[in-house]
Amino acid sequence: MTNGGHISAEELTLLAVGAMPEEHCAALRAHAAECVDCGAKLAEARGQAALLALGVAQEKPAATIKAELFARIRAEREQEEMYRWPAKSGEEAAHAPARKSRRGWSLVPVAAALAIATTWEWKENQRMAGELASANHQIVKMTNERQRAEMLVDLLSSPDTVSVRLAAAPETQPSAGMVRYNAKRGMVVYTAELPALPADKIYQMWLVPATGAPISAGIFAPGPHGTRQLWTAEVPMNTEVKAFAVTIEPAGGVAQPTGPKVLVGAG
Amino acid sequence: MRPQGSTGELASDWSLLERVVRKDEEALSALYDRYSGLVYSEAKRILRDTGAAEEILQDLFYQIWRTAERFDEARGSLGGWLLVAARNRAISRLRRKTGKTEELKENGVGLRVDLESRTAQNLLLEKVRGVMQELPEGQREAVELAYFEGMSHTEIAEKTGQPLGTIKTRIRSAMETLKRVLG
Ligand SMILES: [Zn+2]
Repeated sequence: MTNGGHISAEELTLLAVGAMPEEHCAALRAHAAECVDCGAKLAEARGQAALLALGVAQEKPAATIKAELFARIRAEREQEEMYRWPAKSGEEAAHAPARKSRRGWSLVPVAAALAIATTWEWKENQRMAGELASANHQIVKMTNERQRAEMLVDLLSSPDTVSVRLAAAPETQPSAGMVRYNAKRGMVVYTAELPALPADKIYQMWLVPATGAPISAGIFAPGPHGTRQLWTAEVPMNTEVKAFAVTIEPAGGVAQPTGPKVLVGAG
Repeated sequence: MRPQGSTGELASDWSLLERVVRKDEEALSALYDRYSGLVYSEAKRILRDTGAAEEILQDLFYQIWRTAERFDEARGSLGGWLLVAARNRAISRLRRKTGKTEELKENGVGLRVDLESRTAQNLLLEKVRGVMQELPEGQREAVELAYFEGMSHTEIAEKTGQPLGTIKTRIRSAMETLKRVLG
């Protein structure tokens, strides 16, 4: 640094435009964070540099992006309402589903599932909501079935679609999933991040109704790590759902769950 | 205070942000309508990928929704912040592809120009495009490689075969021209 210990005008410009090699940036930024004068000058230089962005060809983003943003926001507001619930301590809650699952197929108590959900970091929630929104982009882009895309966006932003985050049983971490369920339309849309399975196994999604046996919402196989997929399934309309669960089943799926639950969430 | 138009378009960024803090979706919608085009176009210019630009756009507005209370006038202009944040995210994504993973941070952004009304935006877009077109080729290339490709001055010098000192001078001259024309 020249200029009597302060950041020189040239350095400020290079830093703001993004041309300063990374190895010099840390020291300059640290100085700007401490020195009011240089901090203000850097903020101004950044503003000047940002004007470069106005020189590019202007394009409008697709309307679906805004629809998804607000769907994401609404889903999360609902979610926050739903999870405003007295939670057990994180440790206790995290072990609850594992104990239950050893007794074979049984409903994970709603309160326990909610407790798991509340232990999630906010960031994690945000990430999953983002995954779902992005998975939705993917569908919109990859399929030519415009109607399907429109149906999905409509479903995701519909006020009567509920969102349920699926939490992982401890031994399957890091896994997570998210379900959007519209009872009136009998539609389930979900995304999940799970480890790959051997060829003779498959994941199966289940709706657990308030009364009666679990209902299959399809089998699915996540792609390689980092890819996002969105699965949809039609289920009987107006089913009152108590929980959602993902189990590992023989390839091809089964009529009723037999395998271990890897993800659960209260409906 | 500027008069508020019937469409609400002229509500200031700060008054809209205050409403976003109170979880007013309409206010977020107004901010989105105001800045989404600029943010999206910038991210797309850097990444040349519609999906990736859409993601950055949505994430930024989602962040505003979640953390609106953290924006205050001390942080400078919201429009400026959005442009800088979109650039930083797009660049770190671009560089991740090429194996560089440095974390870029956004701080205060001082923008002296008005970006809040559509008319002011259009005027500014035209002015900046004009300045860029009139810059000497070498100057324009240097600032574009830095801002849109995330290249350091040494990388630009290597790529263009020009001495480092020349690249620094070109970037500085280009920015001075921009400042002189736009005030
Ligand atoms: Zn200083």
